[in-house]
Amino acid sequence: MGDENSVLTRSEARHLLRRTGFGADPRQLDHLVLRGSTRGEVVDNLLDFDPKKFKPRGKQIEDVHNKWVKYMVRTKYQLQEKLVLFWHDHFATGNAKVNNAELMTNQNLLFRLNCKGNFKDLVKAVNKDAAMMEYLDTVRNSKNQPNENYAREVEELFTLGVKDSAGNANYTQADIVQIARAFTGWDYDDDGLATFDSGRHDYANKYPARGPKVIYTTVGQFGSGGRSFTVNGEGEPEIDTVIDIIFDHRDTNSHNTVARHIGGKLISYFAFPSPPLSLTDAVIADSGFDTSFDINSFLRALFVRDEFYANADDPVSVKWPVDYVVSTLNLLRMKLKSKYQYVDGGDGAAIRDQLLNMGQVLLDPPSVFGWDWETAWISSATLLARCSFTRDATAARAGGGTSLRPEKLIDLTLTDPGDVVDAVADRLGVNLTATERSILINYLTDNHPNTPVDLNDPDTRDGKLHGLFGLILQSPAYQLH
Amino acid sequence: MAITRRQFITRTGVAAAGSFLGSGLFRNPLLRQALADTIGDRYFVVLFLDGGNDGLNTITPADNVGGLRTAYNAARNTGSGGLQLAPGSLLVPTSPAMKDPNTGAQLGFHPGLQGLKNLYDQGQVAVIQGCGYPNYNTSHEVSRSIWQVADPLGAAGYGTGWMGRYLAANYTGSQIPGVCVRGEVAREFVQYTTSVLAIEQLKDFGFPYDDFLSGDEQAKRDAFSAIYGQAKAATDPLFKYVGDSGSAMLTASESYPPLHNDYHKDRKSFEDAYNAVGRSTARDLLEIAKVIYGVKRGVPNVNARFFEISNGGYDTHSDQGGAETDGQQYGLHKEVGDSLQVFFNDLQDMGVASKTCVMVWSEFSRRIEQNDNGTDHGSQGPMFVIGGAVHGGVYGNHPNIADLDGDGNTKYSQDTANGFRSTDLRDVYGTILKHWLGMTNPSAVLPVDGGDPKTRWTAPSYDMGFL
Repeated sequence: MGDENSVLTRSEARHLLRRTGFGADPRQLDHLVLRGSTRGEVVDNLLDFDPKKFKPRGKQIEDVHNKWVKYMVRTKYQLQEKLVLFWHDHFATGNAKVNNAELMTNQNLLFRLNCKGNFKDLVKAVNKDAAMMEYLDTVRNSKNQPNENYAREVEELFTLGVKDSAGNANYTQADIVQIARAFTGWDYDDDGLATFDSGRHDYANKYPARGPKVIYTTVGQFGSGGRSFTVNGEGEPEIDTVIDIIFDHRDTNSHNTVARHIGGKLISYFAFPSPPLSLTDAVIADSGFDTSFDINSFLRALFVRDEFYANADDPVSVKWPVDYVVSTLNLLRMKLKSKYQYVDGGDGAAIRDQLLNMGQVLLDPPSVFGWDWETAWISSATLLARCSFTRDATAARAGGGTSLRPEKLIDLTLTDPGDVVDAVADRLGVNLTATERSILINYLTDNHPNTPVDLNDPDTRDGKLHGLFGLILQSPAYQLH
Repeated sequence: MAITRRQFITRTGVAAAGSFLGSGLFRNPLLRQALADTIGDRYFVVLFLDGGNDGLNTITPADNVGGLRTAYNAARNTGSGGLQLAPGSLLVPTSPAMKDPNTGAQLGFHPGLQGLKNLYDQGQVAVIQGCGYPNYNTSHEVSRSIWQVADPLGAAGYGTGWMGRYLAANYTGSQIPGVCVRGEVAREFVQYTTSVLAIEQLKDFGFPYDDFLSGDEQAKRDAFSAIYGQAKAATDPLFKYVGDSGSAMLTASESYPPLHNDYHKDRKSFEDAYNAVGRSTARDLLEIAKVIYGVKRGVPNVNARFFEISNGGYDTHSDQGGAETDGQQYGLHKEVGDSLQVFFNDLQDMGVASKTCVMVWSEFSRRIEQNDNGTDHGSQGPMFVIGGAVHGGVYGNHPNIADLDGDGNTKYSQDTANGFRSTDLRDVYGTILKHWLGMTNPSAVLPVDGGDPKTRWTAPSYDMGFL
């Protein structure tokens, strides 16, 4: 059993860095191991940042997208961007409907500034975020016939979830209808700031037939009286009051519903899919997340636990496309160029086109549910797109031009084919099976596995060695982390 | 190198059996082959209307026989933002007629659905009304998943799709029976036994080799194939899944791209017709047509029989539009109707219109009473089954829009004494599985409910009659 004082092994350090960032550089791992760093030290170091005010500005959404990816590649604060991605997926908002690059940029900054702060504050901020108000129709929510779109998703997706761990519904249609009333009257101004118009708000005395502004009379352990969301005043305060009530909601096991839902999702994202409830509860207990809703504390408690490291040598999660791309560029020590390509010349499509084919265009998730994770990332089409990206990233160019510089990544004086394969696999953070290793040795040596290789020979280096990098990046194991 | 789970499994060959396989019945390879033979040269296409299509403004009461029109007029406004479709705007078929079996009301297609109406007039469209499931859910994701998994009460605990379970029972890992024309495999096709491709554009599906070192392409292919081949043989489900996907991708990357040029060369006039529609449904159906054309000609390694496409944009909370041609739902209906018409013209010319069956579904219909200018999430709605061998007409009852539940949605009922009895989606799937795909007992892949026979699906009816 380990804890925050446990000294990180090399493979644990690799796991921690690639799950909290984009790829783990072997030299950094060697350094951590040499220093005898503990889990607690390294995790505190990872979490020790003030969110940056970076905004991926651009007139066109494509520019915003590519600037954000470029920032992910170059930032020192990879965990910050991992979190911004998480919140972008969680509060999924698509420019296809918003159709306003500036609002999407503002929302991106909102996620960054709140990425590891108080989750309740984040939800309240998202309520009033202009892009979200467009995406889920808050601006079209009228007192005459309230629009339920946001009211449903704020419960189903952003906070409570449809059902609790015992399979009981967390809210009813009647709760949706009432909460929709709280969100009437909201819009945003020319600066993208939220505004409230009491003339458009659904006041209870004007619509007696709609009943009292009370929610959760049958769920949430509030008692049969439920909770009124006008206790802090009717009108403008209602949308914050609704969130306060939601964060007091308890499931049928009397646990805080929001903490379990969001906690479980954070564990799925950073550690492994479908974590047992006992782990979620343990991390909540360690961190006090069910009262503080402090994301930073939750993450620290998670990253020092044994369960987090259980799959360090045996990855069980599929890398998101953007993680696949950014990790690969980091591990190959490549940058995005000015046109957001990662290779010189005309072969490499801009990064957004690559991600489109892999099934993840940022700022345009497929729906309000965000992206489907895990095996849904893998299909013949998306694998082909991943292979196409790594082909472009690793292939040498005719005429001597090449973006991949293997001499910066491994020792080119190695001659034993097995050593070469191991060095490339270690560089890319992949544990090869014995079968995979022998397949790759045969590739490298054209089926002469016992013949030494000369990596300084241009054909071997630019052909076979580049090809070896490509094959490992395309292999099943590298798709996982 | 650390000893990993993958290595352990590879070295010891432990067979972690069972959880991803279908029932024992289907593990018999002889039976599997017999079932596959039954399908013969048939094709099955799923078209998903993503977002919750407003069924009430898809198949709409055109007269007031039985009182449906009064209820409709009360729920759907006229004037600005109004969604009411005037009887005169509806496309009302006469031969065969389109009448609600329960009330006798005359039904009409939304004015955007001219293409579908034309197919109906040719007797090739089954309109199946009131489709849904017990304890209907108005979450897009939950309801979509219920339709795809077909286990509404979660009783069977299925993680696979309904069509996936059929494919797993009938095909092996080295076969590629299905193609989804999209970036990912649709959930109703999900299973872990055989290979379903996800392809957006056939012509772009070639494997991305680099050409720096002449002669190295074959070596790369061999290595890639071997690495994915060993993952495919893994017992760990995740590795096996990735291995299956990559292996199928490599095979298809060699056999599928040429289908594009073959079709383009031989069937230019049809290609032009799809392009004239100019919408994604037409483009996606065109990709399917290219594959069918390949299967029909016996192109090696092209054997897909099952296809899936989807069209988005149906979540019309606002600005849904009524009969006006620039409305949102009008545009969606026109796209689907026109695309299907082109597709069936093409299939007819290829001689496979009567070998092809298209099933159209959406995760739910929408609220009966409109909001300002759109509709919120609802319950049961119509499906369509289309094809040359389909017995055209109306099946299932129009939902009772005059008797709504507390949330303003129509009620699910299996009460045989209720004239407005709903159609359970499993009866539709089961009829397709039995009468199109030759499965004698669809209950093997469709869980039958227990409980109250009036509100649960306890008595399957796999002989709805449309096939």
